Amino acid sequence: MSSSSVLTDDSRLSRADQAWLRIEAFLNLISGIVIFALVMLACYNVVARKLFNAPVPGYVDWTEQFMATFAFLGLAYCQREGGHIRMDIVVGQLRRCALWLAEWLSILFMLFLTTALIYGAWFHFDRSFDWNAPLFSTDSSIDIALPLWPAKLLVPFSLAILWVRLVLQLWGFGRALRFDPERPVAVPLIEDAAALANKEAKTVEGANG
Amino acid sequence: MDNLIDMRALLDGVDIFELSLWLSGALVILVLIGVRVAFATAFIGFLGLCLFFMQRQGFDQGLVTAMKLAGQIPHSKSTTYALSLIPTFILIGYLAYYAGLTRYLFEAAKRWVGWLPGGLGVATVFATAGFAAVSGASVATSAVFARIAIPEMLRLNYDKRFAAGVVAAGGTLASLIPPSAILVIYAIIVEQSVGKLLLAGFIPGIVSALIYGGLVVGLARLRPNLGPPVSGFTWGERFAALPGALPILLVVFIIVYSIYFGWATPTEAGALGAFVVLAMALWQGLKWGQLRGALMEAAKLTVMIFTMIWGVLIYVRFLGFARLPDVFAGWIGGLEFSPYVILLCILLVYVILGMFMDAIGMLILTLPVTFPAIIALNGGPDVTRADSAFGMTSEECAIWFGIIVVKMAELCLITPPIGLNCFVVAGVAQDSKIPISVQDVFRGATPFFGADVATVAVLIAFPGIVLWLPGLL
Repeated sequence: MSSSSVLTDDSRLSRADQAWLRIEAFLNLISGIVIFALVMLACYNVVARKLFNAPVPGYVDWTEQFMATFAFLGLAYCQREGGHIRMDIVVGQLRRCALWLAEWLSILFMLFLTTALIYGAWFHFDRSFDWNAPLFSTDSSIDIALPLWPAKLLVPFSLAILWVRLVLQLWGFGRALRFDPERPVAVPLIEDAAALANKEAKTVEGANG
Repeated sequence: MDNLIDMRALLDGVDIFELSLWLSGALVILVLIGVRVAFATAFIGFLGLCLFFMQRQGFDQGLVTAMKLAGQIPHSKSTTYALSLIPTFILIGYLAYYAGLTRYLFEAAKRWVGWLPGGLGVATVFATAGFAAVSGASVATSAVFARIAIPEMLRLNYDKRFAAGVVAAGGTLASLIPPSAILVIYAIIVEQSVGKLLLAGFIPGIVSALIYGGLVVGLARLRPNLGPPVSGFTWGERFAALPGALPILLVVFIIVYSIYFGWATPTEAGALGAFVVLAMALWQGLKWGQLRGALMEAAKLTVMIFTMIWGVLIYVRFLGFARLPDVFAGWIGGLEFSPYVILLCILLVYVILGMFMDAIGMLILTLPVTFPAIIALNGGPDVTRADSAFGMTSEECAIWFGIIVVKMAELCLITPPIGLNCFVVAGVAQDSKIPISVQDVFRGATPFFGADVATVAVLIAFPGIVLWLPGLL
């Protein structure tokens, strides 16, 4: 229900889409690497605690601070790939202009919300940041006093990346609405169940091959 | 500063509770027209906060307060240690593909239980249960077993509807057997112990798999043309098939054992599980490109789930100001009907919603309102077992309801009109020599739907099945 595909061509919009995708994919990869690193850290912590009675100092603090990476950095990538869950039973029935209009409005709602959240999340960051304080920090974690501002800064940063993606999609659906092409570029398209199934199976089969 | 619009005058006398009802209706419309669920909930929550504060502080100040309040929720709610479990479970799922566990599991299950009536069907049930447990993704599980199990069943002249139904239904077993990401999400939203919920899912998950297995045997006995047994495997061959399937048992064992004995936190248990599957995948020749692919997919799914969580919590914050959950809980608690009748009505709503919605989306949207209502129905947050409606404390009630509601959510993957598992199985089976339509899959899955309803009834009638294991903690 949340999977989709994005078409490309030589247009300025599509080139912008693909350039931005490179940034988004890079950020998403960082997020994946952090997940991997935290898995390793947790394994090490169990072994060190159980076998050597020497757990990683501030393990929970480190985990919590790095969680912001995988909680937010992939936001825009997920939106580009159509990964955020939605219910497409109604929009799936729409065709051409009606569909592009519904999608355009849907992105507009998201853009409005994202703009407001960037402002709010920036304030949340700003309250824990001070140029004159040690480590620029006015707020720190409970156990080993890690500064909280880097994790808080990731939120408005990731939302800003998402904001640009939403503008691109608004442009994409707007263009589709105006020219009504058969296959619009740079926007996630709804896939039918059969295509979705084959994609799922291919991912898994490739792994087993 | 002058206000852009005199919102105080405009909103004067507007009841915020009534407003929350209208906005919840608007949320349903947004979700229906295809706005991403996480953003639809956050948008409505933010809009509600705006109106709430504008009514008190005017347009400008109200808007700023709402933005500041909503803007701090993503960070403050996402960076709590309990949530760090989610990516570890997701990573286990993606690495499990690369570890090649599916074929090993199916082969092992075939050699061990293939001799039963409808043997390949039983093997499929147990293999899907095992793989679904680690992959946590019902749809993907059905997709992959549609490729592995259905052709083999068709080759042995199994009934095509039966074969497709088993695969579609088998995928739904993912939700209860640990590691289950959906149970973690439930635990976070209703603020209950993640470890207890994971343990609570274990026995009902195994029971569900056994009921499915029993159903396949029963059906094949009644109508032998559904599928013949597969026999002729020696004990040596059976044991030879075990090592490949072992990592899955090991992952489930590590998670249940370490949480049960307090040996590790749930996150650490999940991480150890991921490590085992990674080792297996490396042994299978996992390449950097594949690991990169798994990390990219895991990160994408993780951010999707986190976005849903903070999105709904913005909405919940507004509902809290509007007292909607309290009022709804009070209303439910004051109804004259038997608590069991009300519980059944709530579950019926989930069945209907589940026909159209994704399981995680459905739970996230509804739990902020239904969960307090269930607790109120049981007698409130501080009720003793003796005074409660369901004969359990509020914590036990939260765990019990969680298992039931998650089972209900998964059950909807095989109900028409959009039971996703059935579409996926039909989609994959298009490539096989014998075409299988979506209707065939839905028909094939119908007995399993019946079995699931019976399972839910048993869990409601005997809460001990759910509560025994977490009660030992």
